[in-house]
Amino acid sequence: MNLILSDKYLQLTIEDRSTEFINLSELKISNCIGCFGCWTKTPGRCVIRDDAVKVYPKIAASRRVLYISKIKYGSYDTVMKTMLERAIPIQQAFIRLLNGETHHIQRNVAPKQATIIGYGNISDEEKQIFTQLVERNARNMCFENYRVIFAQENILEQTVEDEVMAWRK
Amino acid sequence: MEKIMIINGSPRAPRSNSKKYSELFIKHCSVPTEYFSITNKNHLELCMKMEEFTDILLVFPLYADGIPVTLMNFLKTLEGNQPKQKPRISVLINCGFIEPEQNNIAVKMIEFFCKEQGYSFGSVLRVGSGEAILNTPLKIFVTRKIKQLANSVVKGRSKNLKVTMPISKKMFVKASSSYWKNYGERNGVTLEQMATMEIEK
Repeated sequence: MNLILSDKYLQLTIEDRSTEFINLSELKISNCIGCFGCWTKTPGRCVIRDDAVKVYPKIAASRRVLYISKIKYGSYDTVMKTMLERAIPIQQAFIRLLNGETHHIQRNVAPKQATIIGYGNISDEEKQIFTQLVERNARNMCFENYRVIFAQENILEQTVEDEVMAWRK
Repeated sequence: MEKIMIINGSPRAPRSNSKKYSELFIKHCSVPTEYFSITNKNHLELCMKMEEFTDILLVFPLYADGIPVTLMNFLKTLEGNQPKQKPRISVLINCGFIEPEQNNIAVKMIEFFCKEQGYSFGSVLRVGSGEAILNTPLKIFVTRKIKQLANSVVKGRSKNLKVTMPISKKMFVKASSSYWKNYGERNGVTLEQMATMEIEK
Protein backbone atom coordinates (compact mmCIF):
# COMPACT_ATOMS: atom_id res chain seq x y z
CA MET A 1 0.00 0.00 0.00
CA ASN A 2 1.11 3.55 -0.81
CA LEU A 3 -0.09 6.51 1.21
CA ILE A 4 -0.19 10.19 0.37
CA LEU A 5 -0.81 12.31 3.42
CA SER A 6 -1.35 15.99 2.75
CA ASP A 7 -2.22 18.95 4.96
CA LYS A 8 -4.26 20.55 2.17
CA TYR A 9 -6.51 19.59 -0.69
CA LEU A 10 -4.62 18.78 -3.88
CA GLN A 11 -6.13 18.23 -7.29
CA LEU A 12 -4.32 15.10 -8.38
CA THR A 13 -4.93 12.84 -11.32
CA ILE A 14 -3.63 9.71 -9.67
CA GLU A 15 -5.37 6.57 -10.75
CA ASP A 16 -3.79 3.83 -8.81
CA ARG A 17 -5.70 1.46 -6.60
CA SER A 18 -2.76 0.83 -4.34
CA THR A 19 -2.31 4.53 -3.57
CA GLU A 20 -4.56 6.31 -1.12
CA PHE A 21 -4.72 10.08 -0.78
CA ILE A 22 -5.70 11.55 2.59
CA ASN A 23 -6.34 15.24 3.04
CA LEU A 24 -5.77 15.82 6.75
CA SER A 25 -7.33 19.29 6.67
CA GLU A 26 -10.79 17.83 6.14
CA LEU A 27 -10.50 15.35 9.00
CA LYS A 28 -11.24 15.96 12.63
CA ILE A 29 -8.01 15.27 14.52
CA SER A 30 -7.36 16.73 17.94
CA ASN A 31 -3.92 16.90 19.46
CA CYS A 32 -2.18 14.19 21.45
CA ILE A 33 -2.63 14.76 25.17
CA GLY A 34 0.35 12.63 26.20
CA CYS A 35 -1.78 10.27 28.31
CA PHE A 36 0.23 7.14 27.32
CA GLY A 37 -3.09 5.30 26.98
CA CYS A 38 -1.98 3.81 23.63
CA TRP A 39 1.05 2.29 25.37
CA THR A 40 -0.24 1.37 28.82
CA LYS A 41 -4.06 1.15 28.85
CA THR A 42 -5.29 0.06 25.41
CA PRO A 43 -2.00 -0.88 23.70
CA GLY A 44 -2.06 -0.09 19.96
CA ARG A 45 -5.23 2.01 20.21
CA CYS A 46 -5.54 5.71 20.90
CA VAL A 47 -8.10 6.60 23.56
CA ILE A 48 -9.22 9.65 21.53
CA ARG A 49 -11.62 8.13 19.01
CA ASP A 50 -11.52 10.76 16.27
CA ASP A 51 -10.36 10.52 12.64
CA ALA A 52 -6.71 9.94 13.57
CA VAL A 53 -7.50 6.32 14.43
CA LYS A 54 -8.33 5.69 10.76
CA VAL A 55 -5.06 7.20 9.62
CA TYR A 56 -2.32 5.68 11.78
CA PRO A 57 -3.07 2.04 10.80
CA LYS A 58 -2.59 3.16 7.18
CA ILE A 59 0.69 4.84 8.03
CA ALA A 60 1.81 1.60 9.67
CA ALA A 61 0.78 -0.59 6.73
CA SER A 62 2.26 1.52 3.92
CA ARG A 63 5.50 0.64 2.16
CA ARG A 64 5.65 4.02 0.52
CA VAL A 65 4.59 7.26 2.12
CA LEU A 66 4.46 10.74 0.68
CA TYR A 67 3.91 13.48 3.25
CA ILE A 68 3.06 16.97 2.08
CA SER A 69 3.26 19.69 4.68
CA LYS A 70 3.62 23.38 5.08
CA ILE A 71 6.78 24.24 6.99
CA LYS A 72 6.74 26.32 10.16
CA TYR A 73 9.81 27.03 12.33
CA GLY A 74 11.61 24.26 10.42
CA SER A 75 8.92 21.80 11.55
CA TYR A 76 5.87 20.32 9.89
CA ASP A 77 3.16 22.90 10.43
CA THR A 78 0.49 21.96 12.95
CA VAL A 79 -1.94 20.04 10.70
CA MET A 80 0.66 17.41 9.77
CA LYS A 81 2.45 17.57 13.13
CA THR A 82 -0.82 16.87 14.96
CA MET A 83 -1.29 13.68 12.94
CA LEU A 84 2.29 12.54 13.41
CA GLU A 85 1.99 13.03 17.18
CA ARG A 86 -1.23 11.02 17.17
CA ALA A 87 0.53 8.14 15.38
CA ILE A 88 2.42 6.90 18.45
CA PRO A 89 0.01 3.95 19.02
CA ILE A 90 1.98 2.22 16.25
CA GLN A 91 4.95 2.11 18.60
CA GLN A 92 5.36 0.38 21.95
CA ALA A 93 6.36 2.10 25.17
CA PHE A 94 9.36 -0.21 25.27
CA ILE A 95 12.72 0.99 24.13
CA ARG A 96 15.39 -0.73 22.04
CA LEU A 97 18.81 0.17 20.73
CA LEU A 98 18.79 1.09 17.04
CA ASN A 99 22.15 2.02 15.50
CA GLY A 100 23.45 2.69 18.98
CA GLU A 101 20.61 5.04 19.92
CA THR A 102 17.53 4.46 22.06
CA HIS A 103 14.20 4.38 20.21
CA HIS A 104 10.76 2.92 20.78
CA ILE A 105 10.01 -0.58 19.50
CA GLN A 106 7.67 -0.49 16.51
CA ARG A 107 4.55 -2.65 16.35
CA ASN A 108 3.58 -4.09 12.91
CA VAL A 109 4.99 -1.19 10.95
CA ALA A 110 6.12 -1.82 7.38
CA PRO A 111 9.58 -0.46 6.56
CA LYS A 112 9.06 2.53 4.31
CA GLN A 113 10.36 4.47 1.38
CA ALA A 114 9.43 8.01 2.38
CA THR A 115 9.22 11.21 0.42
CA ILE A 116 8.56 14.38 2.35
CA ILE A 117 7.54 17.51 0.48
CA GLY A 118 7.79 20.74 2.44
CA TYR A 119 6.16 23.82 0.97
CA GLY A 120 5.81 27.51 1.71
CA ASN A 121 8.29 30.37 1.76
CA ILE A 122 11.10 28.51 3.43
CA SER A 123 14.43 30.05 4.38
CA ASP A 124 17.68 28.11 4.00
CA GLU A 125 17.93 27.78 7.77
CA GLU A 126 14.43 26.30 7.96
CA LYS A 127 15.27 23.88 5.15
CA GLN A 128 18.29 22.74 7.10
CA ILE A 129 16.32 22.24 10.32
CA PHE A 130 13.54 20.41 8.49
CA THR A 131 15.97 18.08 6.73
CA GLN A 132 17.54 17.24 10.09
CA LEU A 133 14.06 16.66 11.53
CA VAL A 134 13.21 14.15 8.80
CA GLU A 135 16.54 12.44 9.40
CA ARG A 136 15.43 11.99 13.05
CA ASN A 137 11.94 10.88 11.97
CA ALA A 138 13.48 8.19 9.78
CA ARG A 139 14.72 6.37 12.87
CA ASN A 140 11.44 6.71 14.76
CA MET A 141 9.04 6.18 11.88
CA CYS A 142 10.64 3.20 10.17
CA PHE A 143 11.85 5.00 7.03
CA GLU A 144 14.27 2.66 5.24
CA ASN A 145 15.19 5.57 3.06
CA TYR A 146 13.79 9.01 2.45
CA ARG A 147 13.93 12.09 0.29
CA VAL A 148 13.13 15.64 1.29
CA ILE A 149 11.84 17.98 -1.41
CA PHE A 150 11.05 21.66 -1.02
CA ALA A 151 8.48 23.24 -3.31
CA GLN A 152 6.64 26.48 -3.80
CA GLU A 153 2.96 26.12 -3.06
CA ASN A 154 1.93 26.99 -6.63
CA ILE A 155 3.75 24.00 -8.12
CA LEU A 156 2.81 21.57 -5.37
CA GLU A 157 0.42 19.43 -7.42
CA GLN A 158 2.98 19.02 -10.19
CA THR A 159 5.69 18.13 -7.67
CA VAL A 160 3.47 15.48 -6.07
CA GLU A 161 2.46 13.99 -9.41
CA ASP A 162 6.07 13.82 -10.60
CA GLU A 163 6.94 11.95 -7.45
CA VAL A 164 4.07 9.48 -7.79
CA MET A 165 4.96 8.89 -11.45
CA ALA A 166 8.49 8.06 -10.36
CA TRP A 167 7.07 5.32 -8.07
CA ARG A 168 5.74 3.52 -11.11
CA LYS A 169 9.10 3.26 -12.80
CA MET B 1 15.64 43.24 38.32
CA GLU B 2 15.17 39.91 36.54
CA LYS B 3 11.78 38.27 36.66
CA ILE B 4 11.19 34.97 34.92
CA MET B 5 7.98 33.75 33.32
CA ILE B 6 7.86 29.98 33.13
CA ILE B 7 5.64 28.62 30.39
CA ASN B 8 4.81 24.93 30.39
CA GLY B 9 4.18 23.79 26.80
CA SER B 10 3.27 20.20 27.60
CA PRO B 11 -0.06 18.95 26.25
CA ARG B 12 -0.79 17.42 29.66
CA ALA B 13 0.52 20.36 31.64
CA PRO B 14 -1.23 19.76 34.99
CA ARG B 15 0.17 16.22 35.29
CA SER B 16 3.33 16.65 33.26
CA ASN B 17 6.98 16.02 33.91
CA SER B 18 7.47 19.53 32.54
CA LYS B 19 5.56 20.77 35.58
CA LYS B 20 7.95 18.90 37.87
CA TYR B 21 10.95 20.34 36.03
CA SER B 22 9.39 23.79 36.36
CA GLU B 23 8.92 23.31 40.10
CA LEU B 24 12.57 22.38 40.49
CA PHE B 25 13.57 25.46 38.54
CA ILE B 26 11.38 27.68 40.72
CA LYS B 27 12.84 26.14 43.86
CA HIS B 28 16.41 26.81 42.78
CA CYS B 29 15.99 30.19 41.13
CA SER B 30 17.25 33.25 42.99
CA VAL B 31 14.88 35.77 41.35
CA PRO B 32 11.06 35.95 41.27
CA THR B 33 9.32 33.53 38.91
CA GLU B 34 5.74 33.01 37.86
CA TYR B 35 4.43 29.75 36.44
CA PHE B 36 1.89 29.35 33.62
CA SER B 37 0.79 26.50 31.43
CA ILE B 38 -0.55 26.82 27.89
CA THR B 39 -4.23 26.00 27.44
CA ASN B 40 -6.38 26.36 24.32
CA LYS B 41 -7.86 29.52 25.70
CA ASN B 42 -5.09 31.50 27.40
CA HIS B 43 -2.74 32.32 24.50
CA LEU B 44 -3.56 36.03 24.42
CA GLU B 45 -3.43 36.34 28.17
CA LEU B 46 0.08 34.82 28.17
CA CYS B 47 1.22 37.12 25.34
CA MET B 48 0.11 40.18 27.30
CA LYS B 49 1.66 38.94 30.53
CA MET B 50 5.06 38.62 28.87
CA GLU B 51 5.72 42.34 29.10
CA GLU B 52 6.09 42.06 32.86
CA PHE B 53 9.09 39.74 32.57
CA THR B 54 12.72 39.99 31.55
CA ASP B 55 12.95 36.30 30.73
CA ILE B 56 10.80 33.44 29.51
CA LEU B 57 11.61 29.82 30.23
CA LEU B 58 9.83 27.44 27.86
CA VAL B 59 9.51 24.00 29.48
CA PHE B 60 8.26 21.20 27.24
CA PRO B 61 8.67 17.57 26.16
CA LEU B 62 10.01 16.34 22.82
CA TYR B 63 7.10 15.16 20.65
CA ALA B 64 7.71 13.24 17.43
CA ASP B 65 11.26 14.67 17.23
CA GLY B 66 10.05 18.26 17.49
CA ILE B 67 8.10 20.75 19.57
CA PRO B 68 4.60 19.70 20.68
CA VAL B 69 1.66 21.14 18.75
CA THR B 70 0.42 22.79 21.97
CA LEU B 71 3.54 24.95 22.04
CA MET B 72 3.61 25.52 18.26
CA ASN B 73 0.07 26.88 18.37
CA PHE B 74 1.04 29.27 21.15
CA LEU B 75 4.11 30.51 19.24
CA LYS B 76 1.91 31.18 16.22
CA THR B 77 -0.42 33.31 18.35
CA LEU B 78 2.59 35.10 19.83
CA GLU B 79 3.73 36.07 16.30
CA GLY B 80 0.62 38.19 15.90
CA ASN B 81 0.56 39.50 19.47
CA GLN B 82 4.09 40.56 20.32
CA PRO B 83 4.83 42.20 23.68
CA LYS B 84 6.33 45.71 23.42
CA GLN B 85 9.36 44.68 25.45
CA LYS B 86 10.58 41.35 24.18
CA PRO B 87 11.91 39.10 26.94
CA ARG B 88 14.84 36.76 26.39
CA ILE B 89 13.76 33.15 25.78
CA SER B 90 15.40 30.10 27.38
CA VAL B 91 14.50 26.42 27.03
CA LEU B 92 14.19 23.42 29.35
CA ILE B 93 13.33 20.41 27.20
CA ASN B 94 13.03 16.73 28.14
CA CYS B 95 12.73 13.48 26.22
CA GLY B 96 12.24 9.87 27.31
CA PHE B 97 15.32 8.63 25.46
CA ILE B 98 18.68 8.46 27.20
CA GLU B 99 20.36 10.77 24.66
CA PRO B 100 19.71 14.43 25.53
CA GLU B 101 20.93 15.18 21.98
CA GLN B 102 17.64 13.83 20.62
CA ASN B 103 16.23 17.20 21.75
CA ASN B 104 18.58 19.22 19.53
CA ILE B 105 16.26 19.76 16.57
CA ALA B 106 13.42 21.01 18.78
CA VAL B 107 15.83 23.51 20.38
CA LYS B 108 16.88 24.69 16.90
CA MET B 109 13.22 25.33 16.09
CA ILE B 110 12.86 27.61 19.12
CA GLU B 111 16.11 29.36 18.22
CA PHE B 112 14.78 29.89 14.73
CA PHE B 113 11.54 31.34 16.11
CA CYS B 114 13.54 33.73 18.30
CA LYS B 115 15.74 34.91 15.45
CA GLU B 116 12.81 35.38 13.09
CA GLN B 117 10.66 37.17 15.64
CA GLY B 118 13.38 39.29 17.25
CA TYR B 119 13.73 37.68 20.67
CA SER B 120 17.17 37.11 22.10
CA PHE B 121 17.90 33.50 22.87
CA GLY B 122 19.16 32.62 26.33
CA SER B 123 20.16 29.27 27.80
CA VAL B 124 19.16 25.67 27.21
CA LEU B 125 18.94 22.56 29.34
CA ARG B 126 18.34 19.32 27.43
CA VAL B 127 17.20 16.45 29.63
CA GLY B 128 17.52 12.81 28.53
CA SER B 129 15.76 9.89 30.30
CA GLY B 130 13.34 12.62 31.34
CA GLU B 131 10.32 10.40 31.77
CA ALA B 132 11.71 8.48 34.73
CA ILE B 133 14.76 10.24 36.12
CA LEU B 134 12.85 12.35 38.66
CA ASN B 135 11.50 9.15 40.27
CA THR B 136 14.99 7.80 40.91
CA PRO B 137 17.90 8.79 43.16
CA LEU B 138 19.52 10.08 39.95
CA LYS B 139 17.25 13.11 40.30
CA ILE B 140 20.19 14.89 41.99
CA PHE B 141 21.94 15.12 38.61
CA VAL B 142 18.96 16.95 37.17
CA THR B 143 18.64 19.22 40.19
CA ARG B 144 22.29 20.22 39.86
CA LYS B 145 21.85 21.12 36.18
CA ILE B 146 18.61 22.99 36.83
CA LYS B 147 20.49 25.11 39.38
CA GLN B 148 23.09 25.88 36.71
CA LEU B 149 20.35 26.71 34.24
CA ALA B 150 18.62 29.04 36.71
CA ASN B 151 21.91 30.73 37.47
CA SER B 152 22.67 31.14 33.80
CA VAL B 153 19.23 32.59 33.00
CA VAL B 154 19.46 35.05 35.92
CA LYS B 155 22.89 36.22 34.80
CA GLY B 156 21.80 36.58 31.18
CA ARG B 157 24.28 34.02 29.90
CA SER B 158 23.83 31.69 26.96
CA LYS B 159 24.71 28.28 28.30
CA ASN B 160 23.91 25.04 26.51
CA LEU B 161 23.51 22.35 29.18
CA LYS B 162 22.48 18.71 29.09
CA VAL B 163 21.86 15.94 31.58
CA THR B 164 20.80 12.32 31.57
CA MET B 165 21.02 9.15 33.66
CA PRO B 166 24.71 8.29 34.10
CA ILE B 167 24.21 4.64 33.16
CA SER B 168 24.99 2.56 30.07
CA LYS B 169 22.47 2.43 27.25
CA LYS B 170 21.96 -1.28 27.81
CA MET B 171 21.12 -0.65 31.45
CA PHE B 172 18.83 2.16 30.41
CA VAL B 173 16.89 -0.13 28.06
CA LYS B 174 16.47 -2.62 30.91
CA ALA B 175 15.46 0.02 33.44
CA SER B 176 12.99 1.64 31.04
CA SER B 177 11.39 -1.76 30.33
CA SER B 178 10.64 -2.30 34.00
CA TYR B 179 9.48 1.32 34.34
CA TRP B 180 6.92 0.81 31.56
CA LYS B 181 5.99 -2.68 32.74
CA ASN B 182 5.09 -1.22 36.14
CA TYR B 183 3.24 1.64 34.48
CA GLY B 184 1.05 -0.87 32.62
CA GLU B 185 0.52 -3.04 35.68
CA ARG B 186 -0.94 -0.09 37.53
CA ASN B 187 -3.57 0.00 34.76
CA GLY B 188 -4.08 -3.77 34.93
CA VAL B 189 -2.27 -4.29 31.62
CA THR B 190 0.36 -7.01 31.30
CA LEU B 191 3.74 -6.75 29.62
CA GLU B 192 2.52 -9.10 26.86
CA GLN B 193 -0.50 -6.90 26.20
CA MET B 194 1.68 -3.79 26.10
CA ALA B 195 4.05 -5.48 23.68
CA THR B 196 1.29 -6.37 21.20
CA MET B 197 2.28 -5.93 17.56
CA GLU B 198 -1.36 -5.27 16.61
CA ILE B 199 -2.58 -1.77 15.77
CA GLU B 200 -6.24 -0.76 16.26
CA LYS B 201 -7.28 -4.36 16.87
